[in-house]
Amino acid sequence: MPRFLKEFFNRNGTGMGLAILGLVIFWTIGLIILPQLSMLDFSFRPNLPPPEIGGPKDVYTLENYKYLIYGPEGGSQDYNAVDLRVFFRTLVAAVCVTIFNLILCYPIAYYLGQSKGSHIRIFAIMLIIPYWINEILRAFALRIIFGETGVLNTLFVGLGVFDTPFDFIRNDIALYAGLGYAYILLMIFPMYNVIESLDGNQIEAARDLGAPWWRIHWRVVIPYAKPGISSGCTMVFMLSAGALAAPQILGGPSSLWFTQLIYQQFNDNNDWPQGAAYAIVLLVTCILFVLAVMRLFKVNMGDIGK
Amino acid sequence: MSAGVGVDLENLWIRFGDFVAVRDANVNINGGDFFSFLGPSGCGKTTILRAVSGFLDPSEGKVLIGGNDMRGIGPNKRPTALIFQNLALFPLMKVWENITFSMEIKGASAKERRKRADELLDMIALPGQGDKLPSELSGGQRQRVAIARALCAEPDVLLLDEPLSALDLKLRQHMRTELREIQQRVGITFIYITHDQGEALTMSDNIAVMRAGVIDQIADGKTIYNDPNTAFAASFVGENNVFRGKIKQVMGNEAMIATNRSGDLVARISTANQGKLKEGDDAMMFIRPEAFAIAPDGATGDHFVTARVNHEEFEGNVFNIFTEGEGGKEIKVSIPNHGQSFQDHTGQNITLEYEAQNAVLVPAGELAAE
Amino acid sequence: MNLSFLRVSIWVYLAIFFLYLLGPLVIMSVTAFNSSAFPRMTPWECLTFQWFGELFQDQRILNGIKNSLIIGAGTVVLSVAMGLAGALMLTQIWPKLRATYYTIIIAPILIPGVVLGISTLVFWDRINRMLGLGADSVLSNGIFLTVIGQSTFIASYCMLVLVARLQRYDVALTEAALDLGATHAQAFRKILLPFMRPAIASAAVLAFLASFENYNTTTFTFGEYPTLTIELAQKVRYGITPSISALAFIIVALTVFFALLNEAKLKRQELVAAARKNATVEELAGKIKLPSFFAGNVAAMLVVIFAAATITVVGTATAYSPDQCIANVKEQKQLEADQRIQELRKQREERRKQREADEAEQGETQSAPKPSNNSGFGNVFAPNALSGDEDESNAEPQPSTNGGFGGAFDPNSLKTDE
Repeated sequence: MPRFLKEFFNRNGTGMGLAILGLVIFWTIGLIILPQLSMLDFSFRPNLPPPEIGGPKDVYTLENYKYLIYGPEGGSQDYNAVDLRVFFRTLVAAVCVTIFNLILCYPIAYYLGQSKGSHIRIFAIMLIIPYWINEILRAFALRIIFGETGVLNTLFVGLGVFDTPFDFIRNDIALYAGLGYAYILLMIFPMYNVIESLDGNQIEAARDLGAPWWRIHWRVVIPYAKPGISSGCTMVFMLSAGALAAPQILGGPSSLWFTQLIYQQFNDNNDWPQGAAYAIVLLVTCILFVLAVMRLFKVNMGDIGK
Repeated sequence: MSAGVGVDLENLWIRFGDFVAVRDANVNINGGDFFSFLGPSGCGKTTILRAVSGFLDPSEGKVLIGGNDMRGIGPNKRPTALIFQNLALFPLMKVWENITFSMEIKGASAKERRKRADELLDMIALPGQGDKLPSELSGGQRQRVAIARALCAEPDVLLLDEPLSALDLKLRQHMRTELREIQQRVGITFIYITHDQGEALTMSDNIAVMRAGVIDQIADGKTIYNDPNTAFAASFVGENNVFRGKIKQVMGNEAMIATNRSGDLVARISTANQGKLKEGDDAMMFIRPEAFAIAPDGATGDHFVTARVNHEEFEGNVFNIFTEGEGGKEIKVSIPNHGQSFQDHTGQNITLEYEAQNAVLVPAGELAAE
Repeated sequence: MNLSFLRVSIWVYLAIFFLYLLGPLVIMSVTAFNSSAFPRMTPWECLTFQWFGELFQDQRILNGIKNSLIIGAGTVVLSVAMGLAGALMLTQIWPKLRATYYTIIIAPILIPGVVLGISTLVFWDRINRMLGLGADSVLSNGIFLTVIGQSTFIASYCMLVLVARLQRYDVALTEAALDLGATHAQAFRKILLPFMRPAIASAAVLAFLASFENYNTTTFTFGEYPTLTIELAQKVRYGITPSISALAFIIVALTVFFALLNEAKLKRQELVAAARKNATVEELAGKIKLPSFFAGNVAAMLVVIFAAATITVVGTATAYSPDQCIANVKEQKQLEADQRIQELRKQREERRKQREADEAEQGETQSAPKPSNNSGFGNVFAPNALSGDEDESNAEPQPSTNGGFGGAFDPNSLKTDE
C-alpha cells in the first residue's frame, strides 16, 4: 500500500477512510471521467438500432464529425452551412453576452466590494433572490416583458418611440437579455470576492497621486481583480454557450442555438452518436477557447471557482 | 508517590520520506516522573510525542507504555492523553461538555458527567464556569480546562505539547508551578515538550535535550546545567561562554586546552566524555557567566582570561560585563550585586578568573542558534 | 470630477441594474393577479386569484413538483455526501496530485449541462446493456439518471461551499477527540460534523435549489419522470398562461420569505452571542435571559409582516370573487367588439352605397379590389371578437388599428370626404 494511502487510513480510520475514498472515486471516475470518455467513444460510432450494437457494423467512424462540416452525404451543398452557421453564431453570441455581462457587472461588483454598511447585505440578498428562481421562470418573465404586447412594447408605443410593436424576440434581443440576466450572479460574485479583499488604501494612494478615476481602475483595480474577472467570464461564457432553456424560450423561430441542434439530434432525430459528436465539438471548442483566452490574459486555471 | 506507568522508547526512528525526524532514540521514562523533551523548534520532539500518543507509526523501533508494545494500537486505545499546543478545545461544546468528552464516548449519563465536571472544575479552580463556551474564557482558564479534559480521561500518561507557549510571561510562570502541583497530586507520568529551558528546569524530574532528531543527553536539570554532554546541550541550556581549542594535555578528569586567544586554559572534562577526549582533539570549553570573578590586574595562569570590556549593564541582582571574545562573540560575565560600589570598566582590559571545576570541556560540536 | 455627480450616477446605475434584475420578477408576479388570459400587466383588467386555482388543479404541474422533490432529495443527499468527501480529500490529498484532482472535481461546473446530461445518459445506457438489463431497470430509470446527472456538477458547488469552512477546521480537534478515546466515526459525528453543520446546511439548500431549477441536464435524463422545470419548459414553449405566473409568484414569495427568515436568524445569533458575552456566570448557569426575538431585528419584523400579509391575501382570496369585474370587462369588450362590427358594417354599407353611386355615375370605373381586401380583414377578425376573452393576444390592439387603417386606406372613403 502506498505510503500516502496508509497515512490517509491512519488519519481517517478504516471505515471513514473507505467511505471518503469510495465516494470520491465514484464521483470523479464514475460520474465525471467515465461518462465523458463513454460519450467520446460513442461519438465515433454509427447510429445503429439496439440489436446491432456490438455487432459487425459497430465500427469506429468519423461520419458524425464529417456531418457537421459537410452535411448529409450526397447533399446539395459542399458544406453543412446551416449547422456551421449556428455553431459560430452561438460562440460569437456567447462572447457578446460575456462582454455585456462584464461591463454591466463590473461597476456593481466594485461598488459592493468597496463600500461598507448594512445596505450591502440587502443588495447581496437582492442579487441572490433572482438566482433562486427557476431558470425557466426567469426566461418566462423576460418573455412577458419582451412580448409583442409586453410591458416594453406597451411603454414604447405609448411614449411614441415606436409606431408599431417591435419584435424583440425575432430580433434576438430578448435572447441576449435573457442570457445576460441568467448569469449576472456568476459574473458578480467572483469579482466581488476579489475586489472586497483589495485594500482601499491602494485606491486612496493612487487618487492621492492625482490619477483620474479611469486610470485607477485600469492600473490598480482591474489588474488586482483579474482572477475574479477571468473566473466570472469563464463561467458566463461556458454557461451561455451551453445554455438550452433561454434559447428555447426566448429565441426567435429562425435563430437556433447549437445546444438546440444537439437536443434535436437526441430527441427528434433519435441519433445519439450524432448528438454526442456535436456535444463533444461544443465542449472541446469551448474549453480550447477558454484556455486560449486565459493564456492571452495570463490567468491560471486554479483561480477558477475561488 | 505511587509508581505510575513508565514509557520506554527503544531504538526509535521516524522518517518522513528522506527526512529523518527522529534518529535512534532510546529513552526510559519512569512511572510518575515529570519528564521533559527540551530542544529548539524542528528538533523532532513533537514527533516523538505524536509517536507516543499514537498519531504516528515509528519507522523503526518501539514505543512501550507500561512495558507493552504500542505498535498498531491507535491513539484512542492508548492510555495516554495529549494536551495540544493550541489546546484544541471543542469550540461548539460548553466547558463541562469539553471536560467530560471522554465519558460521553463511553456512554456515561449527563448527570454523572456533570458531577465529574464539577469536581474537576473545582480542582482547576474554575468552579461554576462549566456552562461557558471555551471562547468565553481567558487564555489561562482555557489552559486549565484543557488539563481537566485530559485528566478526566484518567490516562496513565499525560502528554503536553508546549501548552504554555501561547500565554504571557506572568501567566506562564504561574502555570509552571500549578502544573507541577497537579502532577504531584495525581501522581501520573507527565511527558512535557518545550523549547523553553526555564520551563524544563523548573518542572522536570528528568530532561532529554534534543537536537535535529538526536537526543544529546538525558539527565536531571542540575546535571544538564552543570555537566552537559555536548556543545549543543551546554549552549542551549542556560547562558554559556564558549572557548575553542585543541586539547594539549589530559590530567585525570581535567585537561589543558590551547586556545587561540586566551592561551592555555584548564577545565574539567564533562562526565560522559571522561576517558574519551584525547590529546590533540578539538574541544570546547564552557564557562557560565556567573562562574567568573574579576581578578587583580596582571594575574596570569591557566585559569585566567584577559579581555577588553565592550560594555556593561546593571540588571538588579547582577552586573553584566561584556568583553571581547572569540569569533566576534562576546564573553558575558555576571557579578552578583552585594551592594558594593561597582567600577565601570568599559574600554579597559580586565582579567577574569574561574575555577577549573566550573569550566566544562566537551568535544567540539554544533552550538545552539542564538 | 464632481463627487456628488459621481454619487448620483452610481445610484442611478444601481437603480437601473436592480430594475433589470428584479423588474421582470415583479412584473411576472403581478401578471398572476390579472384576469387577462395572456400573462401581462397592461392593460389591467381585474384582480383575480383564479390562476392559482388553475395551477393547483394542473395534474402535470403537481406531478412535476412531486418528481422534483424526490429528485431534489436524492440529489441533496448524494451531492452533499460526495461534496464533503471531495472536500475532505482535497485537504489531505498527496500534494503532487492536488492540482489534477482539483481540476477534475471543479470541471463539472464548467462543462455545459447539456453535455453532462448526454454523457450520463450514454454512459449508464452502456452499463445497463453490459449488465444485460432491460429498458426498465433501475439504471435507466429517469429518477436515478437525473439524480446522478445533476449530482455530477452540484457536488462541485457543494464541495466549494464545504471546503471554505473545512479550511478553517483545526485537525487537532479530531485528534483530540481520538486521543480522548473516540473512534474515527465518533470523532467525525461529534466534532467535525457539528463544526461543518452551517456549511452543510448551506450546501444542502444550494443543492436542492440547483436541482429544482435544473433544465439542461435533466432534459436528457428525466425519462418517465418529468420534473417541475421540465413541465414548465414544455408549457412555456407551447403557449404561456398566467397560471405559470402564479407558480412563479409562489416561488418568489417563498424565496423572499426564507431569505428574510435566514437573515432574522443570523441577526438573532449575533444578538445572543453578544448577550452571552456580557452575561455573568450565574446567568449562564441558570436561565440566561435572552433578548426577545424582535428586539433590534428588522429582518425578524419583516418576516412577521410578510407572514401576516400572506394570511391576509389568502383570506381575501377565498372570500373575494372577481366574477363581477370579469363580467364587466367581458361586457365592455363585447360592447367594443359590437361597436367595431357596427362600424365595419357601416363602412361596408357606405362603401357599397358609394360604389353603387360610383357605378351609377361612372359606369365602367372599377375600385373593387380594395374594398374586398378590407372586408376580408373584417371577416377574419369578427369570429375572434365574438369568442371574447378566449384568445386575447391578438384580439385587442389589432382591431382598433385595423379598423383605423380600414378607414384610412379606403380610397373611396377619402373620396367621400372630398
